[in-house]
Amino acid sequence: MNDMSTAEIAATTAPAKITARNVQVYYGATHAIKNVSVDILDKAVTAFIGPSGCGKSTFLRCINRMNDTISVCRVEGKIEIEGEDIYDRRVDPVQLRAKVGMVFQKPNPFPKSIYDNVAYGPKIHGLTRNKAELDEVVETSLKKAALWNEVKDRLASPGTGLSGGQQQRLCIARAIATHPEVLLMDEPCSALDPIATAQVEELIDELRSQFSVVIVTHSMQQAARVSQRTAMFHLGELVEIDATETIFTNPSHKKTQDYITGRYG
Amino acid sequence: MSDIIATGAAVPARPKNSILVEDKLMKKRNAAEARFKAYGIAAIAISLATLAIMLWTIFSDGVSAFRQATLTFPVTLDAAKLDPQGARNPADLVKVTTVGYGTLLTTAFRAHLQEKGVSTEGLDDKAVGDMISKAAPAQLRDSVLANPSLIGTTKDISVYATGRIDGFLKGRVTMQTAERDANVSPEQLQLADRLREAGILKLQFNSGFLTNTDASDQRPEASGLGVAIIGSLYMMALVALMVLPVGVAASIYLEEFAPKNRFTDLIEVNISNLAAVPSIVFGILGLAIFINFAGLPQSSSLVGALVITLMTLPTIIIATRAALRAVPPSIRDAALGVGASKMQTVFHHVLPLAAPGILTGTILGLASALGETAPLLLIGMVAFVANYPAGPLEGGVMDPATALPVQVYSWAARSDPAFIERSSGAIIVLLFFLVVMNAIAILLRRRFERRW
Repeated sequence: MNDMSTAEIAATTAPAKITARNVQVYYGATHAIKNVSVDILDKAVTAFIGPSGCGKSTFLRCINRMNDTISVCRVEGKIEIEGEDIYDRRVDPVQLRAKVGMVFQKPNPFPKSIYDNVAYGPKIHGLTRNKAELDEVVETSLKKAALWNEVKDRLASPGTGLSGGQQQRLCIARAIATHPEVLLMDEPCSALDPIATAQVEELIDELRSQFSVVIVTHSMQQAARVSQRTAMFHLGELVEIDATETIFTNPSHKKTQDYITGRYG
Repeated sequence: MSDIIATGAAVPARPKNSILVEDKLMKKRNAAEARFKAYGIAAIAISLATLAIMLWTIFSDGVSAFRQATLTFPVTLDAAKLDPQGARNPADLVKVTTVGYGTLLTTAFRAHLQEKGVSTEGLDDKAVGDMISKAAPAQLRDSVLANPSLIGTTKDISVYATGRIDGFLKGRVTMQTAERDANVSPEQLQLADRLREAGILKLQFNSGFLTNTDASDQRPEASGLGVAIIGSLYMMALVALMVLPVGVAASIYLEEFAPKNRFTDLIEVNISNLAAVPSIVFGILGLAIFINFAGLPQSSSLVGALVITLMTLPTIIIATRAALRAVPPSIRDAALGVGASKMQTVFHHVLPLAAPGILTGTILGLASALGETAPLLLIGMVAFVANYPAGPLEGGVMDPATALPVQVYSWAARSDPAFIERSSGAIIVLLFFLVVMNAIAILLRRRFERRW
């Protein structure tokens, strides 16, 4: 079945931002990701869908090497960002994560002020030379995250005092403040109400113009709304990846069709 | 499905009862709950009663240690006797011993009694002089040597009465006990009564209890906690300086950086075991390593602090690791996600959140170390120390000292009943320090706790 998806990928003309080849992930003795090869395009939103436990989050966390923090986790295969293997011996995952930002399932702002939340990344990576530049980065990041108007008068108040949706947008602002090239989102709306979800989805659509966005979601509607390409995972394997429209209207695999129509998973 | 219904035992349907009536099982469950609450309340009541009895005993025995019987009378510091050369030369002044000052005191005392018309009937001159503490001449001599300009003046001074007279004023010594006592006679007690009426003898607040050095069995009235308080303060300061950086660094390494393997597991188990090792074992360790091997001076607060540091480290490490573990992992993810290094994650985000827990754990660890006695006995801090240690900058931590709990122990072991109240008084001082430390722990916790 991998042959099939590789053929599909070959059909796309746009250059791939991320290319994963034969990725295997093991948690101790468990084989969590089996031989996954995908291409993720630049300036597009790619959605990962699939039933719980299919490995889509695990695969997402391979892209910024967050799995490194789990001692029993082992990754094999190759993941390249613009031709550079991120699992190369010379790569420091800390440096990689400045390039590949991440937004988590549960909003997790630092227990610091809104300003400090956004300023933290640029500060530790030395992206700004003075306070004025830092102020500017904070402002543009919050504006990009569509949060500026709501918080501009209370930048010094704690980030944890915001509502759930605002917190998640703050986390997005924090992630884009370091000017990443890729933005990984692990079910970013699962803890949000429908209104906040709509705001975040709108935001994702805007972010697409600057980043390569990868989003893991349990909501078929969300995948259909925000993504241009969708990858279907099942039991640690990639079932197929294609243009979102194709996946939802004319999937090549029965498993995909069963899943998106709610008959399975 | 139908098979199961056919063969399985029939489950009786729940009887249809009014919810206004308590059924049998509900009554039983409620009774069990009520019993459990009663046990809990009883346990707390017993603990509180025990605590109250303990505090009452300590305070009723110990409060009197802060008041001491003193004799107040004028003394003429006769220049002819104290400085025959008249040059106020320190070298000459030292030549007059406490015996000389003693004579001066007793003469002045008797003269004052005569002047006030207090009868010394039935008592010879020596017995009257013996009412004055044996520590008084030395105290007078010290004050004159410190301030030679006093020579030649007449001055009202307050000196301690002997422990027996003090005991008489506090009700510890009576006419009946005095008859069988070689140190005091009933006639002296009668004189004490008359002196009290004349306003010469009275119980006064005794700051010397907090500042004096220890004194021998013959002079319980002059003994104080000065050396013990200094020793305890030196030790606590040194322990805090040593235990906090080492304990916190070890905990952070073990919790955040160390690989999880058999070796670190072994270390972890052993830290827990060390926390349970009896403290006297650490005393023997300190004796062997710090005194016999490293050659550090015995009875010094430095050695005491080293031993207590070793003893407190496991507790601090366990408390610190618990505080670090209580920081939600989502914060670590967030920091790593924006590209913070492991060290930045720990020091920028995890440690500030864990700080209140770490501080509380450390201060409570120090508080329990403050009350530690057994290991200090082994390294010689129970010795009789009559000199104050030097200041902290002059190497005072190397000087012999005692500690508060050790002073409690050594006073409790003395034969003179006057030391019983002093032992309880020392416990009051120790409890005061413990309460202060716990209050600091609470304040720090409030101050650093992030409510957001």
